Parts: sequence; structure tokens; C-alpha cells
Amino acid sequence: MIAAPRELRASLPAELRGIRRDGARLCVVERGAGRISHTTVARLGEHLAPGDVLVVNSSRTLPAALRVDRDGAAQVQLRPGALRDGEWDALAVETSPPHRNVPLKTGETLRAPGGLLLRVLKPRGDAPLLWRMSVERGDLVRTLLSAGEPIRYSYVPVAVPLEHYQTVYAGAPGSVETPSAGRHLTWELLGELRRNGVDVADIVLHCGLSSFQDDDVDLQKPLIEERFEVRAASAARINRATRVIAVGTSVIRTLETAADERGELQPMSGWTRLVITPSTRLRAVDALLTGLHEPPATHLDMLGALLDTDLLERAYAEVRERRYLWHEFGDAMLIV
Amino acid sequence: MGTLTGKTVMITGASRGLGRALAEAAAREGASLAICARRGEALESAAETCRAFGVEVLAVLADVSDATDVERFAATALERFGGVDVLVNNAAELGPLPLSQLTDAPSSALEHVLEANVLGPLRLTQAVIGGMLLRNRGLVVNISTDAALIGFAGLGLYSASKAALDALTRSWSAELQHTAVRVISVDPGDMHTDMHMAADPEANPDDLLRPEDVAERLVTLLAGRLPASDRVEMASFE
Repeated sequence: MIAAPRELRASLPAELRGIRRDGARLCVVERGAGRISHTTVARLGEHLAPGDVLVVNSSRTLPAALRVDRDGAAQVQLRPGALRDGEWDALAVETSPPHRNVPLKTGETLRAPGGLLLRVLKPRGDAPLLWRMSVERGDLVRTLLSAGEPIRYSYVPVAVPLEHYQTVYAGAPGSVETPSAGRHLTWELLGELRRNGVDVADIVLHCGLSSFQDDDVDLQKPLIEERFEVRAASAARINRATRVIAVGTSVIRTLETAADERGELQPMSGWTRLVITPSTRLRAVDALLTGLHEPPATHLDMLGALLDTDLLERAYAEVRERRYLWHEFGDAMLIV
Repeated sequence: MGTLTGKTVMITGASRGLGRALAEAAAREGASLAICARRGEALESAAETCRAFGVEVLAVLADVSDATDVERFAATALERFGGVDVLVNNAAELGPLPLSQLTDAPSSALEHVLEANVLGPLRLTQAVIGGMLLRNRGLVVNISTDAALIGFAGLGLYSASKAALDALTRSWSAELQHTAVRVISVDPGDMHTDMHMAADPEANPDDLLRPEDVAERLVTLLAGRLPASDRVEMASFE
């Protein structure tokens, strides 16, 4: 049902296609009225009201694809699934497209530029394509920042500089893929929203991998934990909102993790394994600004918690007909 | 408690000259520091001096003319401190030494000067100002010079780059007028620094300001004594 024709996969960010970030198209889906309309992200304010709070994910994107040397075997590219202190879980793939998975050996060492030394421990029990590794020497995040490059899928054929993957409010690093719904936002737009009484608050959720480079595994949607933080100042501002508009599904995951039964947010940090499905009753989020993604993205399951299947399918049929662009550099949808 | 206790101050080019003096003055006032420079030993020595004031110091070997280095500096600072309260874009390049007049200088030299003096501050400011805007507080100081306004023989490349940086400051200032985030230019005056002596080897050190004295006054500005204007000349800053 919901699939993007190949030519509608955005291969470049808006600002490298001759329009501004907030010039991306926006499909507005009104849940109550069942109405669908079309505008641009720059006109988002026309659908918000004083008292609303736009909640963004300020996690900074790391250049997380890292080429490493193996003893007696060809180089591989590592893509971290979850970063922890001194340990990480990473996918090992070929260094060039189509980036198929490469089996590693338990106990082998991997070397990266700058002296980083990793030891392969074992495949993760719940997601065997991810290899648990220990950092024997060096600093993982600093190595990525010096020698890594953004994780890139086949529909982005040429390298795009890291700055285009960052949101304009990115703070501390930790995402291995960009929290892309917020990529459309500009400070010109956010400033205008604030002046009109719409608050902008942030949470942090360090986004993990969206693909395991294996269609069968991707269809199973392995559940990988993600690190998040809701600071007290943001929780207080979000709790005062008339409506909470999540920018991206990572914000929904975070807010629904940190909300109590009444939908009140508590300051909190940790790892979330929350899965949102069409049967989830959302407690903290009223609306969503999001990108367009394809099955088997868990993203679409999340949209099901906000929209009934019929309206979701109608909205996706319209964006396909109007040739909206998909994926992290594509167009957007507002569900209110 | 110092006037900068609880604040994170980020300074480029902090291994010597005004940058180092400012790092020390900010440390004395209790600031947590993220500093960078190209020279490892001098940077570590500056960091040690600052740590002696009991503050946290992140020292990153980085060249502001390099986009990857700038992102690495910003990201590691944000990882360590969560956010930045004050950014001082201090690091700068004069151009190839000994200096040549514009008619004689290789035109390609301007590219590197612009990378260091304009693109570097632009990239670093972009990397941290979003967080400032989210919290709706913060200060960016771009170190300027009278050469941004006046022509001096031999300083053409440097002048052009600093005039461009001043233009960025003014534009940013206009764009952020409805926020509590400030971007300002500061002309510290002629100081007895390696850079000044490289530009003017005949200068008499006795006629020049000590960077430590300028830093002492500049740090009061960082602590919140902000001027109404987006350009400050330290010589007349009371």
C-alpha cells in the first residue's frame, strides 16, 4: 500500500535542490475533519495556535559510518546501532554499495584511523546482525567525528556534507541517523512561531539505525533501544502546552516514555524500548510533524497511533499523486 | 563565586595571545571552558593554567579553517557541557608571512584567510547558536580589528576577511533582534601579541596593550555587561 516510486526518493536536501529547508512541501492531515490539504513547511504557523508547544529532538547527528581495517580481510564499514560508554553494537557492512552485511569473527580486532582499537565480542542475541564490540583503545565518538561519514542509503548517490544532516538546533551528538522531521525547520520559522505565541522546546533522543541492510531482518523490525533525555525545564514547558506537536517520531517515542498515566511529563533520562503501534493510546502527544517513509519503517506503525488506516492511506495516496519526495531529505506531513 | 560560574565559554585560538589571556581570565571567574588551537603543547599548557582555577576545561586540537575540525570541536564541547553560553571567535590568520601588499600577494592566499577568519567562525557559530536560541540566551563575540574599517598597507587580505566577519556580525545581529541571543564584534585594540608583531615587526611593545589587561575588561562583557551596539571598541569600553 504505502510505497514510494523510486524517482520520488529525495536524493539531495531541499537547500541543495534550489529551495530552502522550510520550502519543503507539507501535507496537512486534519484528524477531526478528515481533511487533507497541501502547503509548505514555511507556512506551518497557519496550522498552530498560541499555547501550542512544538517539541523538537535536539540530538546532533554523528558521521557514524566508519571504515575499519581487519586482520587478513577486506576493510568493512561499521554502523553503530547503539553507543554506550566503552561498548557499542554495530552493523558491519561492505565499504561500497550495496553495503551488504559482512560476518565478523568473535575475538577479532578492528582498527580505525587515529588509533581506535575495537574487539568483536559476539552478535547481539535479539539482533544478530549487530555485533557487540568493546573499545580497547581510543575514543569512539571522537574517532567518528574525525574519520566517520554520514550513513547514506542507495537513494542518496553522492556524499552530502554533514551540515545538511543537522537540524538547525542540534546540540549534543549521539544520533547515528538524523532526526529528519526537524531538518525542515529554520530559525526564521521558529522565531516567527515564538513571536506568535507557539513555544519551542527540546528533548533528546539519539536516533539509531533505520535499516539493517537486510530486507528480511528489516521486515521483522528488530527493537533496538535508544537513549533519551527530557530535562526539567522542557518538561515544565511541555506540560503547560495547549497542544503538544511532536517534530518526528523520535519525539513521540520520548514523550510517551516519559509521560505518566495522565500525560504529565517527568524529567527523565535513560534508554527507551517503547514500541508505538496503532493500538497505543497516546498520552502526551496531540499532533505530529513528520517526514515520509516507506514500509517496513516502524515509523508508519507510529502514525497508526494518530490516524486511522483509511485516512493514513488517503494521505499517502495524495502525496504520491502530487509527487512529494520521500525519506530524510524529502517533504513533510503534519498530522493535527 | 566568580561572575562566570555556571557558564560554559568556548574560545578559539586559545593557546596564545588574547585567546589564552581570555581563557585564563574566564577560568578565574569560574567559567567551564572549551578551548581549541592548532598547537598541541601550547594548548595543553593553557588548559593546565586554567584548570588550576578549579574549573573544567576541554582542550581540543583543532584548526578553525577546517570544517571537520570545527564540527569535532563543537560536538565534543556540546557532548561535555550540554550547551554553550558564550562563544568567542578569536582565532585568526594574517595571511602568508612576511606580509605582502595586495598588488604583490598571491590571490589564492585569500582563500585560506577567509576559511580561517570567516568560514570558521560562521561554521562554529552555526554549530552552537541553535542551542542558544532554544534556551533563548547566549552571546557570540567575533574578535574584530580597526583594520576591518580602515586600510593598512600589507594587511589587505586580513582586512577583507575581518570586514566580512563584521558583516556577518551585523547581519546576525539584525536577524536575532527579537531574541535574547546576541552576536557582537569586539575590537580589542593593538596588543603585544605574536600576531601583531608578525604584522608590524617594528612595533614598540611599550606602545601596545597587554592581552591580559584587555582580557580582564573583556571578561566583564562576557559576564553580561553587554553594550547596546553590535560593535565594541575595547579602548572606549568602560
